Amino acid sequence: MNRTQSVETANCRSNRRRSKPWRPIRGGRSVVHRNATRRWPIAVCLVLAMAWTVSNSHEVAAQPTTQSENGIQATIDRANRCMVKVFGASAGRVEGYASGFFVSDDGLIMTAQGVFLNGREIRVLDWQGREYKASVIRRDREKQLALLKITESSPHYFDLSNGDVGEQGDWVIAISNAFRVADKDEPLSATLGVISLRTSMEAWLNQRDVAYRGPLVVIDPITSNPGAAGGAVITLDGKLVGMIGKIIESSQTNTRLNYAVPTSVLSDFVNERGTTETVQATPDHPPADLGIVLFRHSGRDGPAYIDRVKRRSPAHRAGFRSDDLVISIGGQTIGNTRDYDKALERLVPGEEVIVVVKRGNELIRKAVVPVEKK
Amino acid sequence: MSSFNRPASLAPQNPERTTTMRMITDESPRSPAAMRRSNEIGSWDRPCKRLGGWFPRIDPTATKKTTTAIVVALVLTMFGAGNCVGQSSDDAAPSASPAAVDMHQDAPASNDSLRAMILTSRAAREAVAKIRPSLVTIESFGGVSAVQGKIGGIRKRGEGNTTGILVSPEGHIITSTFNFIGRPPVITVRTWDGKRHVAKMLGRDDIRKLTMLKIDADQPFPVPEFVPVEELRVGQWAVSVGVGYGDTTPAVSIGIISALNRIGGRAVQTDANISPANYGGPLIDLQGRVIGVCVPLNPQSDSLAAGVEWYDSGIGFGIPLAGGEDWIEMLKQGKRVAPGHLGILAMANPDGPGLFLERVFQDSPAGKAGLLREDIILAVDDQTTDELRVLKNILGRKSAGESIKVRYREFATGEEKTIEVTLGESPESDQNAPPGSRPPQ
Repeated sequence: MNRTQSVETANCRSNRRRSKPWRPIRGGRSVVHRNATRRWPIAVCLVLAMAWTVSNSHEVAAQPTTQSENGIQATIDRANRCMVKVFGASAGRVEGYASGFFVSDDGLIMTAQGVFLNGREIRVLDWQGREYKASVIRRDREKQLALLKITESSPHYFDLSNGDVGEQGDWVIAISNAFRVADKDEPLSATLGVISLRTSMEAWLNQRDVAYRGPLVVIDPITSNPGAAGGAVITLDGKLVGMIGKIIESSQTNTRLNYAVPTSVLSDFVNERGTTETVQATPDHPPADLGIVLFRHSGRDGPAYIDRVKRRSPAHRAGFRSDDLVISIGGQTIGNTRDYDKALERLVPGEEVIVVVKRGNELIRKAVVPVEKK
Repeated sequence: MSSFNRPASLAPQNPERTTTMRMITDESPRSPAAMRRSNEIGSWDRPCKRLGGWFPRIDPTATKKTTTAIVVALVLTMFGAGNCVGQSSDDAAPSASPAAVDMHQDAPASNDSLRAMILTSRAAREAVAKIRPSLVTIESFGGVSAVQGKIGGIRKRGEGNTTGILVSPEGHIITSTFNFIGRPPVITVRTWDGKRHVAKMLGRDDIRKLTMLKIDADQPFPVPEFVPVEELRVGQWAVSVGVGYGDTTPAVSIGIISALNRIGGRAVQTDANISPANYGGPLIDLQGRVIGVCVPLNPQSDSLAAGVEWYDSGIGFGIPLAGGEDWIEMLKQGKRVAPGHLGILAMANPDGPGLFLERVFQDSPAGKAGLLREDIILAVDDQTTDELRVLKNILGRKSAGESIKVRYREFATGEEKTIEVTLGESPESDQNAPPGSRPPQ
């Protein structure tokens, strides 16, 4: 503070005639006297300014990075004001905490659905560490989303009405309370990565219960950690890409997926609109048949080799034979007999579908019309 | 970019500096900032006009001009430094930030950093688009995938698609051996145009964990460019690309090259996500050239699935294809590139330099070349071997059938001799023979 004062006073004093400390010792010309008066504080100023600049020169040199980091930091700070830490009941090995964020100014909070919301009490901490009691407004068990509400207002929130932003390769920042690192009023943790892929997929939770089926944004920062679900994924300019989802395994790679549920899906959920992806409900059409009997090896899922083809069946008419391997039905890859059964369930009698089989080294592609199963 | 341990305010760390800054932007009419903002050099308020302005015609004898010079220097210093502590003003929150300076004239470098990040995204997208025609989706059918069990920590080996790279116009494809662990009898490949081909398995490289497939071409396939290994730099961008998630659009992950010459010199290390989603797929640079093939690897183990437990961990490996003409040719011929095997048990010599041969296995390549127990290996291929690690690194790059030059001291006579040893295959090699491409009987 001293430095400030002396600079300020030096500036202010630079013009004032000082009589007390600068009493002329000898009689001299007033001009010399005046200049002497002015020069001393200026020199002091100069030295101090030089010293100050030198001491801060490292910051000057770092200025470009500091600026861009300040830009991103401002974005993260703004986002952090919309985030909350959610605490509920823990059940066995399942953690009782998650992240969440405000989606309206009247206290609506988006978070992940989980057993931790089943307890008697759900506590929510905002960015300033203030605690609120929250209640569950709505859940979607298929998309694993939950909507909470507090009675107080929430001036900082993410606007869900702008649709999906961010394409593959774009940088994103994932903000969450993974591992409950942030305590009380501490800001949530931020991590940087890119959008890997925008896709629709099935993914499995723990013991192979379907946890999520629908569009999601696969990202490459690691978000598949306890407590991260409900966090926010934002672009570099602060727009919401989606909500970090629960820990799931991709049914394709059997690895943990780092992903976000897209903003459009969140918006539909909050506004109680129908889901954008129609789920495979129980088929309302009679079961279909192609006339193929697969070679099944007593209970084990093997590849879908044709054991025999029923006479006068669609498969027979298409020219399929024993020992052909069914590769694909209607664009769906058939890896084993289980895949074949599932694909068969989706066929509608009378609707043409393309079937691909492998015979020797050849691939045979035929359009087949399934009939009703008798 | 993590900022959670930084103070929320945008102010620089030095509180004095903040205060000083406020002083500079103070609106009082007498402050230098107010004076400066009238944008006229030399137009100072009454008090300083007498100093005559900014022009530094320094005449040391003239006190007035010296004073002027000092003031000029002073002001320039403070103005110059002050400019650097500006903050962007787009912080909309009311109370959290200090008196933020509205610095619309941000120094160009600040916007450049953000712009560079955005350009990297764009470059990555274009690089992926450039290499996309050379990527194939590999579907495998049958094999032991249906059996439950963990491989490499993953509950069930993926039945999903894997990725491959076309390396010749005739249809040779290189991919990771990972998805053939279960020995699927049927393999099909979908090229970029959507067409499905039946694939034949050719050779397998068990040093690099790569397998070669072959499909038939009606017309020449597009082949990507490989980056020469000398051009690779630690810290450069690396993008991993793969179709393992099942979508026809490949997934990407952006990271850097973390290290070169890992795993006995075989691999490039990266922190881009490497997982079954992109095993067999390329690790590319921002120009769309292939740095290497993504594979699971672990320096502590040679088993086929070793390294899978490190998926998406920030430690991933890619096998460079440039400079691999030898082993690529062997794969095209359907041969198996096996790790070279000496057939010895060695330890560091307790009585001096070199490696002490504890045991030479019967009928081993070392034994056939004349090495005996208690001999001391001094150097291999002109590299002094005082540590077991050095020998392992040399052997790590050699395949069965290659020869090495061994200089050793014979125990019986005490003489130093040099011999050529032709490396053989490890005795368990029969179980790992590549599966045939015929359907099961």
